[in-house]
Amino acid sequence: MTNTPLDDKQDQTQPRVIAELRGVTKRFGTVLAADNLNLSIGEGEFLSFLGPSGCGKTTALRMLAGFEAPTEGDVLLDGAVVNEIEAHRRPVNMVFQHYALFPHMTVAENIGFGLRQMRPRMAKGEISDKVRRALDLVRLPGFEDRRIWEMSGGQQQRVALARAVVNEPKMLLLDEPLAALDRKLRKEMQIELQNIQRSLGITFILVTHDQEEALSMSDRICIMRDGRIVQIGTPQELYDQPISRYVADFVGTSNFFDGTLEAGSGAIAGVKLANGITLGGRPVGAIAAGDPVSLSVRPEQIGLTRKQGGAGALPVTVRNRIFLGEHTEYLVRHETLGEFFVLAPRQSELSEGPFNSGEGLFASWDATAALVLTRK
Amino acid sequence: MTKDIDYISKQKFMEELYRYKKGSVTRRHFLNVTGLGTASAVLGAAVPLLRAGPAFAGDIGDRVVLATWPNYHDPANFDAFTELTGAAVQVNVFGSNEEMLAKLQAGATGWDVFVPTNYTITTYVGEDLIEPLDTALLPNYDPTAYNPRFAEAGSVDGKLYAVPKDWGTTGYVVNTDHTGGVVMDSWKQFWDMARAEFSGRGMVHDYQLTTIGNALKYFGYSFNSVDTTELADAEKLLIDVKPHLFAISSDYQPSMRSGDAWMSMAWTGDGKQLNTDMPEIVYVLGKEGGEIWSDYYAVPKGAPHREAAYALINFLLDPAVNAKEVLFHGYPTADAHTNALLPESLLNDPILYPAEELLSPLEFGAAVTLTDPNRAELMARFKSA
Amino acid sequence: MSRRIRNFLLLAPAGAWFLVMLVLPLAVVIIFSFGERGPAGGYVPAFTLAQYANLPARWAAFRNTMMLAPTGTVAALVIAYPLAYFLAVRVSARWKMTLLVLVIVPFWTSILIRSYAWIFLLGGRGIPALLDLIGISDLRLINTPFAVLVGIVYGYLPLMVFPIYVSLDRLDKRLLEAAADLGARPWAAFVQITLPMSIPGIATGCMLVFILLMGEYLIPALLGGGKVFFVGNALVDLFLQSRNWAFGSAVAATLVIVMLVTVSIYMRLMARLGNGRDDVSLM
Repeated sequence: MTNTPLDDKQDQTQPRVIAELRGVTKRFGTVLAADNLNLSIGEGEFLSFLGPSGCGKTTALRMLAGFEAPTEGDVLLDGAVVNEIEAHRRPVNMVFQHYALFPHMTVAENIGFGLRQMRPRMAKGEISDKVRRALDLVRLPGFEDRRIWEMSGGQQQRVALARAVVNEPKMLLLDEPLAALDRKLRKEMQIELQNIQRSLGITFILVTHDQEEALSMSDRICIMRDGRIVQIGTPQELYDQPISRYVADFVGTSNFFDGTLEAGSGAIAGVKLANGITLGGRPVGAIAAGDPVSLSVRPEQIGLTRKQGGAGALPVTVRNRIFLGEHTEYLVRHETLGEFFVLAPRQSELSEGPFNSGEGLFASWDATAALVLTRK
Repeated sequence: MTKDIDYISKQKFMEELYRYKKGSVTRRHFLNVTGLGTASAVLGAAVPLLRAGPAFAGDIGDRVVLATWPNYHDPANFDAFTELTGAAVQVNVFGSNEEMLAKLQAGATGWDVFVPTNYTITTYVGEDLIEPLDTALLPNYDPTAYNPRFAEAGSVDGKLYAVPKDWGTTGYVVNTDHTGGVVMDSWKQFWDMARAEFSGRGMVHDYQLTTIGNALKYFGYSFNSVDTTELADAEKLLIDVKPHLFAISSDYQPSMRSGDAWMSMAWTGDGKQLNTDMPEIVYVLGKEGGEIWSDYYAVPKGAPHREAAYALINFLLDPAVNAKEVLFHGYPTADAHTNALLPESLLNDPILYPAEELLSPLEFGAAVTLTDPNRAELMARFKSA
Repeated sequence: MSRRIRNFLLLAPAGAWFLVMLVLPLAVVIIFSFGERGPAGGYVPAFTLAQYANLPARWAAFRNTMMLAPTGTVAALVIAYPLAYFLAVRVSARWKMTLLVLVIVPFWTSILIRSYAWIFLLGGRGIPALLDLIGISDLRLINTPFAVLVGIVYGYLPLMVFPIYVSLDRLDKRLLEAAADLGARPWAAFVQITLPMSIPGIATGCMLVFILLMGEYLIPALLGGGKVFFVGNALVDLFLQSRNWAFGSAVAATLVIVMLVTVSIYMRLMARLGNGRDDVSLM
């Protein structure tokens, strides 16, 4: 997918809106779990809700599934308001966090469960055909008669996926589907999920707190915080143009230098740091002079050299060196700014050679690569 | 607690009489039905009074164990005994003679005194479970004071094994509100009514001795018959009556009181109580006869506190003490000395002391009646029919 | 070595209890069952199969028991399941404990006292008197098979409610969400998920109630007016009234065998129902 929308307003360029949240608010007693959510989801899109636990991402998913009804606002599927439609009547399926496989049924019985609920009844032969194809899809051929407890976590995950997709839902909801898997398996499954989504063309909605998972799989990511949507965009947009320190921190790694915005106009603004130094950066969004801000600099934007640099260069000392193959990560220390990370490509290392722990260096970056972000 | 045990004032007498009327005198029904075994109560065992009165010569130990029937003694008398002798009375309560016999057969009961019914004594003697009594240790026992009819079962082959406690009869109670003026006076009426007007309202004991015995009386056979043809007749009658019965239970008082049952086999004390509280319920002795019984005090072989056992029996035989016992439990005694202390109204009570022409056809249960295997099997067939 | 000694000491109380309370009495019962009744009752050593040959004399008691035990079990299950479901699924956590305690409270008094309460309730001055007020007259409840069934359901209800409650309470509610998500209507989800998942509880409850009912004698004696005669009642009479220990032992030994056979058939059935799941506990 190349033509991903920049933001919500451009959704009309997408082929078709399959689901929509309109001013959706959900309260559990006095707890505000979702606060005025507005979101359109396009057909065939892979969208992720990303945020820490308690940010409202699961609530949003459960309202789409039909397990919760919104307190205010509307949930739309295929253009129709479905607020009061119960889960078993919605053409969406879910992969549950701990899979929620039925322990008293075989693999085939689990996968065929949804098909068996259909009215008019589906023929037995058709059900077993579909189950077989679903097992092929998740690369578990011949596992029909296995018992759930005989299978590994990764295999159970595939069965849960097959059980959901076999029903050919309009939308597949995935609630932290990979959280219980180990790292290696998780990587594999990320690729597999993407492949399956592509081959089926179904809309996938993923809930996760793992940025790497969201970044690697999603067309768009919806960053959430305290029940609100903070920013929606493609992974690259979120990485390059975060609208707040919160987003920058959640998407990728960044170094933050806290200070207050200095008065002035133009593309580059000055940020006065606590130690009195003023650094330049590109202001993002509505921030005014005197606001508490963070200057955000991605580690790969920072250059290191042994040579005395320009006026803006900061003298630092190398604390740690972590060899990552193509890159080397340095943790460096500035006398008053403290420690920050630098990611040096192998190329630059080749020119000056590797820097050693304890070595005195100069760090510098292009002011346009530094973002001035609100700390709110 | 009564300190003055030798004298009963007139006022005290009336109090006791009132208590007797209100008190529950029940026997065998409860534990027999439940088969729960031994319910035991310890009276004053925790505080053996060390200041044993000088009235009693010698040390008899700190306790005595009595196996008896429910509500068959005045606890105040036990307190008085403890105060007098320093021995606490520990009471084990039983539901049936069979259970007592089973316990003694199994051995090591720890009992010092027990209360067998007349028809069991020969069995105890035969099984060598009971010891001959030394009358020298029972100065209060006066053989001449007893109607021999209620005392003779205590002696086997001329040897005294047990001394009389109380006696009674087995008849039936009937609620005259439902008899339509018909006077009930026979077992024939009992069994016929049970199948007709009183269908669903009659009760028989859950006890083969009386239920089969009284069925035998329908045909005029002996209460104690073990003759197979006679038993076959009784069985036919019982099986025929069974579908019409309200219950087969020895716990008939609640059902009679609630009005669910209108007629039931009954023992003297229950008959007296029901009649006292509900005068429309009368106690009937079948004119064909039936059972008369007598309870005794006896000492089992190997009683651990033998001296205390004799002391307790002797104490309870004291007419003044016995009179209080009678007032408490409501069963008649055969002891003339005790009767002399009892109020006229009690002695003239037709339930406790029936007329001679009603008493004379009654039979004492025989040992074989209790132990006959055929009767036991008949009862099982009747109950499971 | 010390480990072996420690294991021995740890197991000794249970082993001793098992030996003294279970094996020895059973051995005595089996030995007695080959003996004879003494002339005045009790037991006389012998080796005879006469007692077993006489078993048909208690056929009616066995037949009644084999009718009562399954009927009573099913009746208790039918009443207990909705109650357990309500407690486990529908009641809020706040009220759960209170209501659970209310289910057990009757167990704090003796079954005897509770049965006497039922004698009153089912007797002429109890429920029939109330029904009489609304025109249903002359209804006889006490001393009927119905009264026995009421007593059994009442007496054994907690034994059935608790295992089912536990299995329903443990049931992962997400499984029901998953079923709904896959298109199962609430009733279909109950039949396909909740019910099969509570089979361990049902099996445990039924087994407990069934085994205890096989030996029941108190409720039939009290609420059945002694007119209904079960093996338990036959045993009470044989041991406490006619003191035919030999025959009583033969009846008791037979009851144990009948129980074992029934239980093993039942277990096999349940194992098949549970599809060989290892979480189907049978006891």
